[in-house]
Amino acid sequence: MVSLTRSGDRTLEEKEALLGYALIAPSLLLIAAVILYPVLYNIYLSFTAVPLSPAESPEWIGLQHYQDLLGSGQFWSALWTTVVFTFFSTTLATLGGLGAALLFNRKFRGRRFARGLVLLPYVAPLISIAFVWRFMLDPLYGIVPYVGSDVLGLYGGDIDLLSNDRTALWSVIFVDAWRYFPFAFLMLIARVQAIPSDMYEAAKIDGASRFAQFKDITLAELKYILATVFLLRWIWNFNKFADIWLLTRQVETLPVYAYTVAFANYQHGQAAAISMVLFLALIGFVLVYVAWILDW
Amino acid sequence: MAELTLHDVTKVYDDTDGAVTAVDGIDLTVQDGEFLVLVGPSGCGKSTTLRMIAGLETVTDGEITIGERTVHHLAPSERDLAMVFQSYALYKRMTARGNLGYGLKHSTDLKADDREQRVQETAELLGIEELLDDKPEAMSGGQKQRVALGRAIVREPSVFLLDEPLSNLDAKLRSHMRTELQRIQEEVGVTAVYVTHDQTEAMTMADRLAIMDAGVLQQVAPPEVAYDHPANEFVGTFLGSPAMNVFDAVVRERGDEYVVEHDGRTFARVPTGAVERNLLDADVRLGLRPEDLHVDTSLDDAAATCRFEASVTVSEYQGNDNFVYLEAGEQSLTARVPPAVYPDPGSEVDVAVAAEDVYLFEPTTGDAIKTRGIDAERIETRPT
Repeated sequence: MVSLTRSGDRTLEEKEALLGYALIAPSLLLIAAVILYPVLYNIYLSFTAVPLSPAESPEWIGLQHYQDLLGSGQFWSALWTTVVFTFFSTTLATLGGLGAALLFNRKFRGRRFARGLVLLPYVAPLISIAFVWRFMLDPLYGIVPYVGSDVLGLYGGDIDLLSNDRTALWSVIFVDAWRYFPFAFLMLIARVQAIPSDMYEAAKIDGASRFAQFKDITLAELKYILATVFLLRWIWNFNKFADIWLLTRQVETLPVYAYTVAFANYQHGQAAAISMVLFLALIGFVLVYVAWILDW
Repeated sequence: MAELTLHDVTKVYDDTDGAVTAVDGIDLTVQDGEFLVLVGPSGCGKSTTLRMIAGLETVTDGEITIGERTVHHLAPSERDLAMVFQSYALYKRMTARGNLGYGLKHSTDLKADDREQRVQETAELLGIEELLDDKPEAMSGGQKQRVALGRAIVREPSVFLLDEPLSNLDAKLRSHMRTELQRIQEEVGVTAVYVTHDQTEAMTMADRLAIMDAGVLQQVAPPEVAYDHPANEFVGTFLGSPAMNVFDAVVRERGDEYVVEHDGRTFARVPTGAVERNLLDADVRLGLRPEDLHVDTSLDDAAATCRFEASVTVSEYQGNDNFVYLEAGEQSLTARVPPAVYPDPGSEVDVAVAAEDVYLFEPTTGDAIKTRGIDAERIETRPT
């Protein structure tokens, strides 16, 4: 910028810039205090051994925690579980939301009421949902084992779906997808309703089949919002702790692993290193995703 | 290329709010290669009629045929027609090439090379070759319009349907596209049905007009015929701008002339021979087109001319001619006069009306009793 100032004076642009900095300073300070400081402190902790007594200060041990993690089977298994959980729960929630949005795009009696009901899983308190599902999945008196094994005979009813290590992950994925599909639904329904109907009419005259119309018009129009919903749900599901923890102790994702390390084993430095890995993995995924899929 | 026939076509919307007849027993034949304009006010059923032809609405009753084929039970894509929408309805995520080729891909067996060839030819016809790799969002209104036209033309349909295709364009582009559309239609030689509420568009483009009101077809005729010889009062007032002055009047006989009076004033004189029926003491609706009210000028044929006095309320300068708003007694009239005539508000003027320019309509049914001319002859075809 060319400065036309006489000595001591500021140009209009400089004054505007100063005002701008002054206006964002409070929020910058707030963010620094409540977000930046904990993050930096966490990074610091991940390089230290944190003693139990608050009177002693952490001891610098360098990359020791990270080396331990890379050599630990439990860590790799937790990372894998996290990826599987995130991928399937995100995909299912997004597809469920898409299906519901398409269904609700046509007019029917009681549509507004039904739309309110669809949002229920998303707005109900997590704790009640977790306990309702634990009750419904209970091998003794749950309705899911009753229908699944006694009525339909899909599996032996004596399996505890939430505690069996072969079924626990899938049960959690299913409950999570069920709980969060209304979010995808909400985001998608607005876009679905904004697709002009005359494009479908033009396609009818052009002879496009229903599937071709869905692929070439509906999906094409929803591409960006679908990708955005998927990304948001991916971020949230990758960090998900409470939903999993309240349902079962059998599914160990990275957040759950970090929690147990921190508060069951009291290895806060190690837990900090786990959350750093979680953080970096997520950042890496988001960058790749935004660069390749979401060409904004 | 084919003839399109509508036989007693009816559309009734039957829902919880009750049954509404949107289109009531339309009989219409569009000749092979003809450009027919379906015109009428909003809600008259013209778009519904077009959508029934297209197959986007079901037909409650009646029959639609294209050439030898009965089509009203067929899917839109099986009717061998193409449609241009008011909003263009381009596939937003596809390039112009994709838009043009989409119909060929889905409703013909053409190979990719042949499809590409057809798309290229159509693009050349419309002058949109450079646009082929652009998406609609990068195009102007006129360009989108051309792509939408191209999408219809490329399929080489028997019938071309256009639903107010020019109404989203600005005035200048619209008149340009009007001539462009006519050129293309002539070049392609396809049967076309064009829906509009804009009577200028209708008058300038149509081979024949089909004028609709309240779901009923009022008249089908070439524009000149419909304008000079409207079948009824609705057609008379709908065509022409400013609209025809129409008001209640009563007919008296004086010698061999009918004298048409309103509120004790004589507004028109017509030789009795010009009208087939005996109109003595009949109530009528008198119609006078604004351009037929001659203000402060002498008409040659003094015998058949009626003169009356009126006072000027407002004179409106329009450039190529002026609109003069008049009061004759209680009756308001609009006159369209040459630019040189510009009377001051409040001034008294002489208004002359020639007998051949007098329109008379039946007051109850609105049917025309007398239209332009004094020999009571109906002109059935386009004058040469």
